[in-house]
Amino acid sequence: MAETKINIGPVHPSTHGVLRLVVTLDGDTVKHVEPHIGFLHRGVEKLVETRMYMQSPSYMEKLDYVAPISYDEAFVATVEAALGIEVKERAQYIRVIQLELQRIASHLLWLGTAINDVGQLFSVFMWCFKDRDIILRLLEEATGGRMFYVNMRLGGLNRDLSPGFANHAYKVLDYLEHRIKEYGSYLESNPVFMERMKNIGVMSKAEAISMGVTGPTLRGSGIDFDIRANYPYYVYDKLRFRTQFENGGDCFARYKVRMDEMQESIRLVRECLHTIPEGDAIGMPIRLIGPQPKEKEVVVKRELPRGEVMMYMVAEGQRPYRFSIRAPSFINTSVLQHLPRGHRLQDLFPILASVDTVLADVDR
Amino acid sequence: MKIKSDQFRETIERLHDEGYTYLVKITAVDWKDRLEALYFLRDLSTGKEETVRFDLPLKAPKVPTIIHLYMAADWYERELSEMFGIEILGRDAKRLLLEKWDGKDPPLRKAFEWSKPYQGMEPVKFAEKYNEPDKKGKKGASRQNVIKIDKPFM
Repeated sequence: MAETKINIGPVHPSTHGVLRLVVTLDGDTVKHVEPHIGFLHRGVEKLVETRMYMQSPSYMEKLDYVAPISYDEAFVATVEAALGIEVKERAQYIRVIQLELQRIASHLLWLGTAINDVGQLFSVFMWCFKDRDIILRLLEEATGGRMFYVNMRLGGLNRDLSPGFANHAYKVLDYLEHRIKEYGSYLESNPVFMERMKNIGVMSKAEAISMGVTGPTLRGSGIDFDIRANYPYYVYDKLRFRTQFENGGDCFARYKVRMDEMQESIRLVRECLHTIPEGDAIGMPIRLIGPQPKEKEVVVKRELPRGEVMMYMVAEGQRPYRFSIRAPSFINTSVLQHLPRGHRLQDLFPILASVDTVLADVDR
Repeated sequence: MKIKSDQFRETIERLHDEGYTYLVKITAVDWKDRLEALYFLRDLSTGKEETVRFDLPLKAPKVPTIIHLYMAADWYERELSEMFGIEILGRDAKRLLLEKWDGKDPPLRKAFEWSKPYQGMEPVKFAEKYNEPDKKGKKGASRQNVIKIDKPFM
């Protein structure tokens, strides 16, 4: 049968941003997918070289607009490593609380949009967005920002938690724990959902390692690897943290990892709220001319909702000489060349949804 | 580990056999007199990490591809080729991945010319006694009027 080439995107509701896919089809079997990226390329790595350290966090937040705190924190941690600044203990706990809340919010947005992509229409999408909004309100209470926060400062934070935060957070966490379980039970008893997620886009252990995928996509292939557990930062080694992984390697396994991670994050936030010490959490105010860097080259790894980010910085004087980001979505998007091969065209979008990409993060 | 560029292929094959099967990132740094390529590798079962680094000339730099060992190298090599003008031997990595630049130097080289407004602010100097209250009794960041700018922006 003759091959057909079709073009999807760059503006398409299911590509979650500006991603263009050129799909070669035989009948409706996918032969080859060629992702075209770069529509959102802003040259952040070059821009950061021209700005002083604390001018850049707001750029970092726009890289992954679904989980801005995580990127912000990773960048500030890189600068802290270069300048040799210790983070205050209470601030470490608050950072972990905010990072984990952000992870739940990000995974909820993923769940809503991914369910849309498998044809389950808007009910779950609306529920997820409603629940995400509750977390955003909680984060707003803690940081003052709703979508973009810029709350991290060198050595601490801009704002300490408000006095009523813990009470609100416990309520929200109880509610979320119940809701997320409920979504899981709805979806997993839905034959259409299961049919479209099980055995779709299977990635074996060896393939996942060779393709270099990261985050829940890696753990969905049965690999017990999480930066929070393997290279613990802040207080993660004091918390009872268990890496969530699944052996299936298909879209359903990746879905399951994210669902379990949300529950794990809820547990982590609770534990942090129980054990958070009193004290000072306020960091240095933003002053453009800061101390001289102590380290010339630093590499900082962080586990973001979408996977591992690695920031490599060569610090020189008051600005980075070279700054490079290993963006989790970039490498996860590159597997779209391999995973849909042999599947039907309709399975392309569940696969794309299951690797969870944010296009601003892909293009940088 | 720092190696010579002609030892690269054998080093990376040896490391791959030793268990460093996960490629984290390929990147490079332009040190103005030379380029330095960096390959971040990891062994996922033990968590050990290794960075392979070697120097390349500024003019016509070439590295062999490692796509037969690491599938992840595909887009990283294309990005490296695009951003630093490093030729990847053994595969076609010429098709641009992220951008189309109009200068003659690749964008992440230090020699890349770009228009002035994008080059950021000149460093501003705060008054020395930044945290002492001014005449109105204001402290710190609210003392906007004491910021001196050495050179005008743009």
